[in-house]
Amino acid sequence: MKMSLRVRLLGTIIGAILVFFIVSVAAARLVLQRDLIDLGKTEVTNGGSAFGGYWDSRKDQIRLLVAQDALSDAVRKSIQTSNYAALGDQLSNVARTSGLSFLTVVDANGNVIARANGPQRGSLKSDPLIQRALTGETVSTATLLDPAFLNGEGLAPQAQSDIKDAAGKVTEHVDKGLALVSAAPISDQNERTIGAVYGGILMNHYYDLVDQAKRALGGDSALLDGDAIVAGTIPQPDGTRAVDVAVVPAADVIKSGQPFTGEDVQGGTRYLVHVDPIVNDQNTVLGARWYGIPLQQTTDIINHTTQTLVLWGVVAMIIALALAIPIVQALSKTLASRSHQIRDAAKELEVIIVGSEVSGDHVAATKAVVEKSGEVISQIAAGQTGKIAELKTLNDELQGDMIVIDTLSQEMSVRMKQAVDRVEELNDVAGGLNQLVTGETG
Amino acid sequence: MAEVILFFGSNADTMIATKTLKDAGVTAKMIPKPANVATTSNLCLSIDAGAETQAKSALSTAGVALGGVVK
Repeated sequence: MKMSLRVRLLGTIIGAILVFFIVSVAAARLVLQRDLIDLGKTEVTNGGSAFGGYWDSRKDQIRLLVAQDALSDAVRKSIQTSNYAALGDQLSNVARTSGLSFLTVVDANGNVIARANGPQRGSLKSDPLIQRALTGETVSTATLLDPAFLNGEGLAPQAQSDIKDAAGKVTEHVDKGLALVSAAPISDQNERTIGAVYGGILMNHYYDLVDQAKRALGGDSALLDGDAIVAGTIPQPDGTRAVDVAVVPAADVIKSGQPFTGEDVQGGTRYLVHVDPIVNDQNTVLGARWYGIPLQQTTDIINHTTQTLVLWGVVAMIIALALAIPIVQALSKTLASRSHQIRDAAKELEVIIVGSEVSGDHVAATKAVVEKSGEVISQIAAGQTGKIAELKTLNDELQGDMIVIDTLSQEMSVRMKQAVDRVEELNDVAGGLNQLVTGETG
Repeated sequence: MAEVILFFGSNADTMIATKTLKDAGVTAKMIPKPANVATTSNLCLSIDAGAETQAKSALSTAGVALGGVVK
């Protein structure tokens, strides 16, 4: 397909703009994607730290509540008077108003004497936290509550669950409970330890903390018992919470004790997440805190920015073309004008070359007629008067030839002058083209 | 021998036509424009009537515009 110079020039400009535009958009999208992911990682890391702050705050709150109960005169008096029924009522009221899952008092031997959750007795003397509390230490930590303790507190149903993988297959059964607990010694007036208060919040299927974090931080948060979500705000497609499901990246966090920042899919949504290990006061990893923001937010920003770039790029391209097209048109017109000059010059040169040949032929033919005419004149002079008519014909022919030669002569003269003019124009054209190509004015 | 007259738009075209016909083997004689031919050119070509078709073909192939034919 033959294209005009104008089309090729415009095509080159449009092509260059398009290539520049496409490369710019692709580069911008790539850089934006990388930077936003980096920014998102910083955001989820900060969000994870803030979620950790809520966790620590709740732990401190429990410690304060338990310590206050340990110092309560009413509690001490109930113990000293063995009024365990009244003590149970007191504990029940405190636990209900302060949101504790359990609040239990043991005597100096670690035997349960009252519970907020009912009259069940039992012994907690083998519990290391109780042992430490009975030595006078106030303990506050995360812990895994064993099934026996949970049964005693009536909390086993809240803690037990079947953990499923992403395919919905049950992979493990959880019967321990992740909890924030505190234990504090109860002393008499002589500062002798007469028992201990043990209280805390069972985190399995407890949504107050994660909902609070979601409201304050945005995104989604979850608490993991081992590598399984036991409480969280992550919504499933049907709107219910995604709980009792395994979190693949959390397995490494549990093993290594190192936080993880990266992508995870929960409830059918891709998240950028930060997973921090939950450790007890002995630095043993018990579970993890999961905080994530949907990657869709990042994708939406990238898509919106790309669309904006494309839109404004098209506008810029139209403006650029609106400026470039008149320039190309003017340039094309100049080149077309130069081209016509060259064509005219070629035509003049052709006419001169052809004309000289034609003229030469015609002069030769005329010369032959002149010679023939001379012969006829000689014959007439010799008395052949019958040749007069032939001489007249030759004379007429010569007259026409003279007119033709005269016309050719004038034509050639004019053409020669025009050719000289065309050569000057050609020099001008050559200079113009040289300037156009090289930019040199010489 | 009958002759026909070919005329063209300019003297330059007439010269080029003369050369073209010569190259094509058609004998053409350049003559002044007859009074009954309407053209701006001062010159015409006279050819044998039998060579008219060949002449037209040669001129057409060479891209020389023929102004007309007078018989």
